[in-house]
Amino acid sequence: MAEQVAPAFLARNRNLLLGCLSVALFFAAWQAVFLFVPFDPLFISKPNLIALALLDLISSGDLAHDLAVSAVPFFYGFAAAVLGGVVIGMAMGWRPRVGYALDPLMTMFYASPLVALAPLVVIFFGVGVAGKAILIFLLSVFPFIFNTAAGVRSVDRLLINVVRSLGGTEKDLYLKVLIPSVLPYIIAGARIAIGRALVGVLVAEFFAASEGIGYAIARFGDLFALDRMFACILVIMAIAVVLTEGIRWAERAAFPWRLGQ
Amino acid sequence: MADLASPALIEGGELSAAKSWRNLEPALLGSLTIVVLLCAWQLLPQLITISAGTRLFFTTPSRIAITLWNMFAQGTIWLPLGVSAAAFGVGLVLAIAAGLPLGILLGRSRTLNAMLDPFVTAFNATPRLVFLPLLLLWFGLGMWSKVVIVFIGALFPILINTYEGVRNADRVLINVVRSFGAGEWDIARLVVVPNAMPYIVAGLRLAIGRAILGVVVAEFFGSEEGLGVVMVRAASSYHVDVVFAGLVVFAALSLLMTAGVKMIENRLGRWRPERASAA
Repeated sequence: MAEQVAPAFLARNRNLLLGCLSVALFFAAWQAVFLFVPFDPLFISKPNLIALALLDLISSGDLAHDLAVSAVPFFYGFAAAVLGGVVIGMAMGWRPRVGYALDPLMTMFYASPLVALAPLVVIFFGVGVAGKAILIFLLSVFPFIFNTAAGVRSVDRLLINVVRSLGGTEKDLYLKVLIPSVLPYIIAGARIAIGRALVGVLVAEFFAASEGIGYAIARFGDLFALDRMFACILVIMAIAVVLTEGIRWAERAAFPWRLGQ
Repeated sequence: MADLASPALIEGGELSAAKSWRNLEPALLGSLTIVVLLCAWQLLPQLITISAGTRLFFTTPSRIAITLWNMFAQGTIWLPLGVSAAAFGVGLVLAIAAGLPLGILLGRSRTLNAMLDPFVTAFNATPRLVFLPLLLLWFGLGMWSKVVIVFIGALFPILINTYEGVRNADRVLINVVRSFGAGEWDIARLVVVPNAMPYIVAGLRLAIGRAILGVVVAEFFGSEEGLGVVMVRAASSYHVDVVFAGLVVFAALSLLMTAGVKMIENRLGRWRPERASAA
């Protein structure tokens, strides 16, 4: 028995194991390559130095401070984008005329690189929480608008009629039909919006800021402190992966019937 | 049903009028919103007094249009636009050249896919912008740091969509071709790539958007030439109309290219029988 458990475990988690293996190999190769190539700390860093820098940033509290500074505008901007996007999207999806009226305008905004407005936003609202939050809002509101509108349009008329015929109240209509149909679309929109919101944080902080994780990356780059810069980049990558994959996981767990859509 | 039946009762001429109104309504309402918004923006200084400080950051659509016209008429836009377009083009071509074969490989080999999946997921989820300070150290302020940002941004939509398209290839067709003695190369050429084409083109559409974003952002933070640089310099000297003119140019290019790819998408999909389309 015992010898059969191991192969079964290997087979079941093959993809996961292969993934971990290749990541480990990647870092090992990165570390090992400097045994043969001369190491230039002003040009590249090594995994062991990056790990040390990361530990140092964590223990000194700098990392937590920078992340907290960046998280506040991220939260405000993103919350505003969810609220505004869902309200506008609901109106566009529910009322065809509102949809006709706003669709071309919103498409124009969505297609244009709104990041280009960053200098104006920074000049106008400053580099504090307000400026960053407005930039994040501008970048992340459109996925919510379009996805909510699509979700509302996809609501099955038949289900609404069934609820009405069986004597359902307005509350039943919302709780049993509208929200379950639209929510998956909103969450799918959130997955797209998260990435754009992170861009907003970084753009705002690269431009002009005195704290925050984006500022930390830019400053360590200017100081040629590559081990610290790599540590911050890895932290951002980890946050981005956790947020997007977390939403994907929540989607699968909450709406299993939408798998494959 | 009731409102569908009622137009039939109306006389022929009125019926077609009602019908053409229904067809025109979306376009009319859509352009009306844009026109109203532009007029409101244009008339804003007449309606409320704008303080002297705010006026520095304020511009009107007419001024933006004049600035845009001057940029084209005097030809000042061509050099920066060309620099931006070069970085965009080189980055996008490199992304296609790398993304297509990699996507096909990952789609055909489970082991390779399992090994590279963590990297694809991580790089796809991360905003490309984090790498910019590093790329500036490595490639300097010239074209190549921009090219790399465009490349990273455009690579993953192409790679992931190619992968999805390859994974969706019809097993039966692959088996048929294989029974007739085809190797892996023939399978790719005859079944996998034609089948993945709509996915690849959809990926290209996403990639174009990200590539334009990459050019703008890269030029904002580390570059000496390009339309993005023109915009940042204009912003710091309060020439807001130039910033908006640049935004209009970028948006127009983005919409044009996306519409072009959309046309290719429709053209390619024409022979295809009804089935689930690419995301």
